[in-house]
Amino acid sequence: MDISSALDRLANYRIRNSRASRDVFETGIPFLNNAQSKFGDESGPFLEQLALASIDVGRIDIAEDCFTQLTAKFPGSPRVECLEGILKEATASPEDALAFYEKILDADPSNAVRVVSGMSSCLPSNCTGLLQAAWKRQISVLRRLGSIDRVVEELSTLLDTFYTDVEGWLELADIYASCGQYSHALQSLSHVLLLAPQNPFYVLQAAETAYTSGDLPLAIKFFLMVVDMTDEVEGSPEDFNPTGITVRAWHGVELTARRLQKEPRLASSSASNTSSPQHLPVLEKLAKDMLTKAHST
Amino acid sequence: MGATSAPSLYLDPQIRDWVLFPITVVMILVGILRHYVVLLLQTPPKKLPRAAIREQRALMQSNVLRATSANSPIPFTLYKSISQNLSKAFVDGKYLKDGPPKGDAPSTPPNPLTDPQAMDGMMAGMKTQMVMMVPQMVIMGWINFFFEGFVLIKLPFPLTLGFKSMLQRGIQTPDMDVRWVSSLSWYFLNFFGLNGLYRIILGGDNAADAAQNMAASPFAAAGAPQPGQPQDYNKLFKAECDNLEFSEGLHKWVGEDVETRILRKYGRIAP
Repeated sequence: MDISSALDRLANYRIRNSRASRDVFETGIPFLNNAQSKFGDESGPFLEQLALASIDVGRIDIAEDCFTQLTAKFPGSPRVECLEGILKEATASPEDALAFYEKILDADPSNAVRVVSGMSSCLPSNCTGLLQAAWKRQISVLRRLGSIDRVVEELSTLLDTFYTDVEGWLELADIYASCGQYSHALQSLSHVLLLAPQNPFYVLQAAETAYTSGDLPLAIKFFLMVVDMTDEVEGSPEDFNPTGITVRAWHGVELTARRLQKEPRLASSSASNTSSPQHLPVLEKLAKDMLTKAHST
Repeated sequence: MGATSAPSLYLDPQIRDWVLFPITVVMILVGILRHYVVLLLQTPPKKLPRAAIREQRALMQSNVLRATSANSPIPFTLYKSISQNLSKAFVDGKYLKDGPPKGDAPSTPPNPLTDPQAMDGMMAGMKTQMVMMVPQMVIMGWINFFFEGFVLIKLPFPLTLGFKSMLQRGIQTPDMDVRWVSSLSWYFLNFFGLNGLYRIILGGDNAADAAQNMAASPFAAAGAPQPGQPQDYNKLFKAECDNLEFSEGLHKWVGEDVETRILRKYGRIAP
């Protein structure tokens, strides 16, 4: 493999924020000691990328090497500090990592953040600022330690400040769901839907959460929305074989429609006051037909 | 015809060597120097306390909510609870940096001249402006003093008389061919034309280009709302409440009639 295509691939991973750790590690390792000459201005982001990938594949020694180079290059940079925290998470105990993040966040009395545009692309998560990055790492360590009440509290504060953090909202929904608080999870997911209305996977998650919480009319509507978003119907819809997420959504439609017909009382017990859909038998029949088609091919 | 096609003027090659080239080279070098001086003058981005970020971003929440309201991905009950919570927070001033406003204190818009943070921003603009202006004035003075009325170069293409004032500034001759360019005009051509060269030498967003900075005066920038400019968030939040209420009326869930839409699409009920 020639060098320029390898460099292109690494840059591509960085831009898309992909976590192809094995590939990044294997492609990047030859450039570890001559990053500056190969990458120029991009050497910092590259070393960070390689360090994160090495932690993922368990080569802490390489990650530490990257970290030493980065510290020499950018002394006192908050971004490198955040990487140090991630390194600590991988090597030291979670308590140590937590103490480290708390130190970063309290270092500035005002809990300051330096919002730098363009800095977000290489951080482990899509963050607008470094405060947000360290903060989110802190929250994830807290969750690992199992102190759910503190996690929810911190995460809510974070989301109140950085409202557009879809990842954070999803995490919050996941935490609520893990505690059985499905209506709270649904509320978090509704923020996710507002922020990323184009993503059918989030709608599917909302549908399944609504189903679990017992709000069947809402669930079937969400399932149908997923179908509506994902079936690429060209010409006659009957020729179309549902695949992937659409199949799962059809399963949801079938299940919900069947239960709603069997127990009509469920239709009126919607927490979100959603009216029960009409044509339930037809919907169930359609869903069954689509599923038969999906599974018979 | 034969007489006019011959050049009516001969320029001393020394003009080329000692006037045309020096002016061009000096202007390029000054541009590059200015780029680096501006880089030195730039202060690192301000650190913002957490409360201030929260205040700045609070409006984004309602913007996201309002932008989707006509084709909302969430049903009305969920939408309404978010919307009502938000307007309540706005009315109570929950998002304000300094906490809810106290009692009936008169809400005066912050004065940019007394706020030290805003003053810093304005000073930074002025400093950059000075770095732009001073070298240009010096170069122009230099050209005016030493090379006034020099004819430097002949353009290789004919031009109409309209270009006379542009190309022969500083020479009061009515009947000289428009193609001859005077020293002062050469300065202006460089002044506006070197941007492309700077972009090649210094990269995309360089600070060497004087022309674009001329248009933006520091005070024009101060008038327009920009990040870092003090704004009366309390007032903005109050206004946002009305917008939220309005959007609530427009709300329509995309899932409202999704089942009939799907059944129609699959031909199960009559369209």
